[in-house]
Amino acid sequence: MLELQRNVIFGQFIDTGSPIHRMDARIKLVITFVFIVASFLINDFLGFAVVLPLLVLIQLVSRVPLGYVLRGSQLFLGFLVFVLFFQVLFYPGDVPESSYLWHWGFLSISTEGLYTAGILGLRVIFLYYVTTMLMLTTSLVDLTNGLELIFGPLQKIRVPINELVLVFVIAIKFVPIFIGEVERLARAQTARGVPFDEGGALVRARRIGRLLVPIFISGFARADLLATAMNTRSYRGGRGRTKLRQLHATGADWLVLLLVVAWMLAAWQLPDRLVA
Amino acid sequence: MRSEEPPILELRNFRYTYLEGTPRASEAIRDVSFEIRRGERVGIVGPTQSGKSTVVDSFAHLLRLKPGQVFYDGQDVAAPGYDRRKLRREVGIVFQQPDSQIIEDVVGADVAFGPTAAGLPAEETRRRVEESLNALGLPYTEYRLRYVHALSGGQRRRVAIAGVLAMHTPVLVLDEPMAGLDPRGRRELLELLIRLQKDRDLTLIVCSASLSDASLLCDRFVVLDEGRVVLDGPVREVLREADRLAELDITLPEPVIGAREFKKLFPDLPAEILTEDELEAELLKRLGVA
Repeated sequence: MLELQRNVIFGQFIDTGSPIHRMDARIKLVITFVFIVASFLINDFLGFAVVLPLLVLIQLVSRVPLGYVLRGSQLFLGFLVFVLFFQVLFYPGDVPESSYLWHWGFLSISTEGLYTAGILGLRVIFLYYVTTMLMLTTSLVDLTNGLELIFGPLQKIRVPINELVLVFVIAIKFVPIFIGEVERLARAQTARGVPFDEGGALVRARRIGRLLVPIFISGFARADLLATAMNTRSYRGGRGRTKLRQLHATGADWLVLLLVVAWMLAAWQLPDRLVA
Repeated sequence: MRSEEPPILELRNFRYTYLEGTPRASEAIRDVSFEIRRGERVGIVGPTQSGKSTVVDSFAHLLRLKPGQVFYDGQDVAAPGYDRRKLRREVGIVFQQPDSQIIEDVVGADVAFGPTAAGLPAEETRRRVEESLNALGLPYTEYRLRYVHALSGGQRRRVAIAGVLAMHTPVLVLDEPMAGLDPRGRRELLELLIRLQKDRDLTLIVCSASLSDASLLCDRFVVLDEGRVVLDGPVREVLREADRLAELDITLPEPVIGAREFKKLFPDLPAEILTEDELEAELLKRLGVA
């Protein structure tokens, strides 16, 4: 039977109590930002090869089982392969005749197309991996606090940071809830004779499509309920609110940040220097 | 000869862990074994998190079951090649949240979904839809073209039940059927279920955290706690363990609660009082009123 929670881990938090879990959420957010910038700067396979050991290190230190992360990324990776397939087929640009491996009308497979798709794929996987690891290792409370503290100064120029962060956090929090909901619906409908546990991948995907309407309806109902619940508890943004748990960045946290920045600089610059 | 045929449902050392093998695994059923015979009326009772809903889901193979644990009509439902579609046409489940099992937008179409999927002719399907809706107090002519989402919660629950009844399943499983119904709705549903059970010789399974509704419907209770069977026996026998049930946070029927209080006054009051009439008779006897 369908257990979607195995295949989609986006937005989940696994508390293993590792050093990464204990790091200051602000530092983790900044590190994630550094990774995101780096993913756009790094432009060749060698650069990503330099990044890989750091990701392996993060995986090991976090103590989140690798199999769990991989299985939980299946759907995402499948989708990525699907998109990249078209990226290769429709690769535009002036490709010298010699690098065409296959050609038919406007469809083609060229070495340039494959190279670009490969870099793009690595870039997206890198982005996906670091944001997933951020969420797997940071509780929602820490994530909220961290974001509010980082963007707090913007409140002076009347940017409603608390509200924005809240919306962001609710959006993330709703992903696992929706997945649970899809599972519950699929189970109930299977009992009534829609076999969600039979047929190939395509047939199953089409059946999940049937659940979209009820999911939307329950999503709106949930959002409505949440708004009422917040009103009855007198939610009025973060003004004048104090925190029970203060975030503390230790020297070690800063050291990790420094290491990551240096590592990313190396991944960006080294390959060019080596070639030159 | 009845006792010689295999039990219609059987759980044999059933264990179940959700998301097994992941860091988020949670053990729902630790060790549950019991049999249900054809035509029995069984209440599966337990506090929240006791594993009731998991047991219900296992009956129609809605989980990732391992072989050798769940049997329907003597056959292992998790055996390779087992016909799950047939199983689901024979075990009808009414879930806790009725909305999750309503598939179509219009009442009539939704109730017709099961019979149509089972390949019944249109005429028979129409007859069953009419019969089921009428039985649940939703007159066919008035309700068949109504939109499900415009109905009240109680009405949607009845549509969900009608959808399962229309399948004419030999086994009917209801998960907290009385939740969200007003006293009149409860009474009507109770009467309907008792009537149906007799007419169709149904095997009826009712899941609840409250014994008061279940005690009127069932003659046997299986009490679950933390994924294990704590008590299993005829209603009166199980109710004799009132202290234990209260400890598990299971709501007892009102006459039983009353009898427990009166026991402080009359220590010789019998332990198996179940209905108001019995309690009244015993009290009158002790008060010396003829």
